[in-house]
Amino acid sequence: MSTTAKPTPDKYSLGQSMKRKEDPRFLRGHGNYVDDIVLPGMLWLSIVHSPYPHARIVKIDKTAALAVPGVVAVLTGEDLAAHNLAWIPTFHGYDKQMILAVGKVLFQYQEVAGVIASSREIAQDAAELVEVEYEPLDPVVNPFQSREDKIILRDDRENKTNHIYHWEVGKRDATDAAIAASDVSIKERVVFQRCHPAPLEPCGIIADMDAATGRLTLYLTSQAPHAHRTVVSLVTGIPEDKIHVISPDLGGGFGNKVPVYPGYVVAAAASVVIGVPVKWIETRTENLTTTGFARDYHMDVEIGATKDGKVTALKVATVADHGAFDAAADPTKYPAGLFGIVTGSYDFANAFTELDAYFTNKPPGGVAYRCSFRVTEASFAIERGMEILARKLNMDPAELRLKNFIKKEQFPYPSPLGFVYDSGDYHLTLRKALDIIGYDALRQEQKEKRTRGELMGIGISTFTEAVGAGPSKHFDIMGIKMFDSAEIRVHPTGSAILRAGTKSQGQGHETTWAQIAADELGLDPQNIMVEEGDTDTAPYGLGTYASRSTPVAGAAIAMAARKIREKARKIAAHLLEAPVDDIEWENHAFHVKGLPENAITMQTIAFAAYTNPAPDTEPGLEATFYYDPPNLTFPYGAYIAVVDVDAETGFVKVRRFLAIDDCGTVINPMIVEGQIHGGLTEGFAIAFMQELAFDADGNSLNTNFTEYLVPTSLETPHWETSSTCTPSPHHPIGAKGVGESPNVGSPAAFVNAVMDALAPLGVTHIDMPLTREKVWRAVRSAKGAAKT
Amino acid sequence: MNLEYSGREEIPTGLDAVWAFVTDPTQVASCVPDMVESTVVDAHAADAVVQVAVGPVRGKLKLRITLDPDAAAHRMNMKISGGGFGSVVDVTAGADITAVSATSTALDWKATVTMRGPVATVGGRVIDAQAKRVITQTFENVKVRLTGAPAPAS
Repeated sequence: MSTTAKPTPDKYSLGQSMKRKEDPRFLRGHGNYVDDIVLPGMLWLSIVHSPYPHARIVKIDKTAALAVPGVVAVLTGEDLAAHNLAWIPTFHGYDKQMILAVGKVLFQYQEVAGVIASSREIAQDAAELVEVEYEPLDPVVNPFQSREDKIILRDDRENKTNHIYHWEVGKRDATDAAIAASDVSIKERVVFQRCHPAPLEPCGIIADMDAATGRLTLYLTSQAPHAHRTVVSLVTGIPEDKIHVISPDLGGGFGNKVPVYPGYVVAAAASVVIGVPVKWIETRTENLTTTGFARDYHMDVEIGATKDGKVTALKVATVADHGAFDAAADPTKYPAGLFGIVTGSYDFANAFTELDAYFTNKPPGGVAYRCSFRVTEASFAIERGMEILARKLNMDPAELRLKNFIKKEQFPYPSPLGFVYDSGDYHLTLRKALDIIGYDALRQEQKEKRTRGELMGIGISTFTEAVGAGPSKHFDIMGIKMFDSAEIRVHPTGSAILRAGTKSQGQGHETTWAQIAADELGLDPQNIMVEEGDTDTAPYGLGTYASRSTPVAGAAIAMAARKIREKARKIAAHLLEAPVDDIEWENHAFHVKGLPENAITMQTIAFAAYTNPAPDTEPGLEATFYYDPPNLTFPYGAYIAVVDVDAETGFVKVRRFLAIDDCGTVINPMIVEGQIHGGLTEGFAIAFMQELAFDADGNSLNTNFTEYLVPTSLETPHWETSSTCTPSPHHPIGAKGVGESPNVGSPAAFVNAVMDALAPLGVTHIDMPLTREKVWRAVRSAKGAAKT
Repeated sequence: MNLEYSGREEIPTGLDAVWAFVTDPTQVASCVPDMVESTVVDAHAADAVVQVAVGPVRGKLKLRITLDPDAAAHRMNMKISGGGFGSVVDVTAGADITAVSATSTALDWKATVTMRGPVATVGGRVIDAQAKRVITQTFENVKVRLTGAPAPAS
């Protein structure tokens, strides 16, 4: 089998909007989610939750529940404690968290007992019959109350304080001095409220212990199947080869499916003990009230500047609410994630940031919802700060940004807080945004409207992310370095299977991973099957979150393909009867130097690899690559929102929203656009709708989708998108990642736009979400103040 | 979530009859709207199962009604506590019973309702109206039962 036909470059190249390979099965209802899986003899788990946010457990009476026909077992924390499973370590290892409460409960809806029964209905009914007697304790519901240490929440810890840690980076004294010496300075507390990713598919598991083989199979809603396998092994003592994690299709994740949840552990423990499969699928309320929340950062932002608008120093001091356990899934050495990116796109000579984290009687978590390890909070802080500074300077916010951007010739740019930015042209991207949106005309329109008392606002956000964790010298989780992996096997007829350590939750990996390999190998992406989420077959990887898939696993795929290509070069030399050094790879085919018309394709070489291998080479054509990135990547963007505010009702109409993203090399523009649309919609929801609120008694006030709002197509604005491209110089294909950019960049654009609209009234800041009521009250208050 | 309510019922019945009624746990339990079943525990307490449907939150609450009469002051203190479907409800109520005339008695009542769990998350917009309805109707039912008038729709 041989061919001299040259492939069409476009078919194989990056940058094609190839339709998503996974969509036909999803659109036909053939996705396969955890809850679709039914195993013979399977039991159901239902969890008993605490109605109190803080209380001692006096007594748990299982009697009535156990008497229900169909109930097999009722497990409590004491039962798990007997097997050393009452507590498990958190991901970074600095704290531990309860599986089922022992002694006392620390947040409302905390898991107290598990009922295992023959059906979901019986398990739920019986869970209501588990009688738990509590002795209520006073709750601590915000971090400022917590830091007073009047009520110590975690009496299990050696240090009798609610303070979890202090973290800082930068030069405090120099920054303080620079701010004090600056011509102009601003200081504002901006709160990024507690919110929740709320994936449409909640979390779930089927744990299936095979007593005959001693193997535990976990069908799990997991964004990081290998990491979960390792955690289960470390916690249970079951050898890793006896644990098989399968993460089937996921209906969204957004970081919510990274942590290990009590339902997983209880189901697994029950299956090990009972010897049959046990299934647990969260309710929506359980998902919102117990699983990983996002944000809850209270940030004091200070910026100093010269009177002509050159920034001189940035200081951000944050109080973080971590809930009942320090379970934020950050890399070990980064307790506040990558918050050090808070200097953003600007060239600060001095910067300092510090953070203090506290326990409260709220659910644990903090790192989720497309946050790139706290980059979302950092971006919001700096972009709000720059907007407030612009107003104080009486300077156009676009002009202020253009004056202070890191210049493209400064890359690689060492930031004052320790990052080395890889590449960017911030001026180009913002100017493109200003041109497309028609910025000057909009400002003119705004000027005219203000003369008529109409409230129109224009908000800019020019964010920079740090993603792609990460380089092994800095980044690990549980000590495991944050590399990622790919394995590619090319079959004799030129199709292939590609396995990766990542896990798509809707990002389209089956398509984009195939496109990367296809471009590197000259294969048809339609004939490259991508498989993820099975720890028995995929190489070890840390999973998909924090925009790390393309920067890390995408690089591993390219590098694995290049290993294959090097072997293929030898086979090509054998087939073309020429020295290896004379073989060139061009237009997705090999040819002898100077003889491009006699090119042979990878399909030809693949067949030869199994039928006519080159001398001194192994048969077959496959490779595995573990990629340890040399640096993070730094995608960025310029977003502009245009809003009209109805002063009478507080209603904010987002009239236009333009997102210019620069994520380096684009693999599939259509998928990137989809990522941006989704992230912008989430950013819109955060800015205007979403907050996990608690009353003074610690009651969770948003336990379902009538109280925690997810925007529909009716509320969602029309998104305008475009791009610039500055490839990452250290990534094999120049890609930077884009999954979280729109959620990182958009909230500040929305808030800046509304504050710009309200500027004539003297309103400087309103904390998100900017509900109609909040905006209406701010307008009324400002107008009232103006009258007096 | 804490909610407070108060009200006044004038009952065209003499004070002794009213006092006898409100100190009887069987009678008091029968006045709680949406009652599914009740069991008298002793002279001052009854257990009740009440159906609750507030927005998306639906289920049965198992409640213990405890009466603490102060005969000298003609004051009835009442505590209702219990829970269900992951929720906890505590009601502390008090009623001052005074004779308006020989055939008319006033019942001035106050109640504080504390809720936790799903029932508390429905939010003030809905739960306030529902809790107020239940409390108000309980005291209205006392009047209805004493005067023999038809019970209002629950």
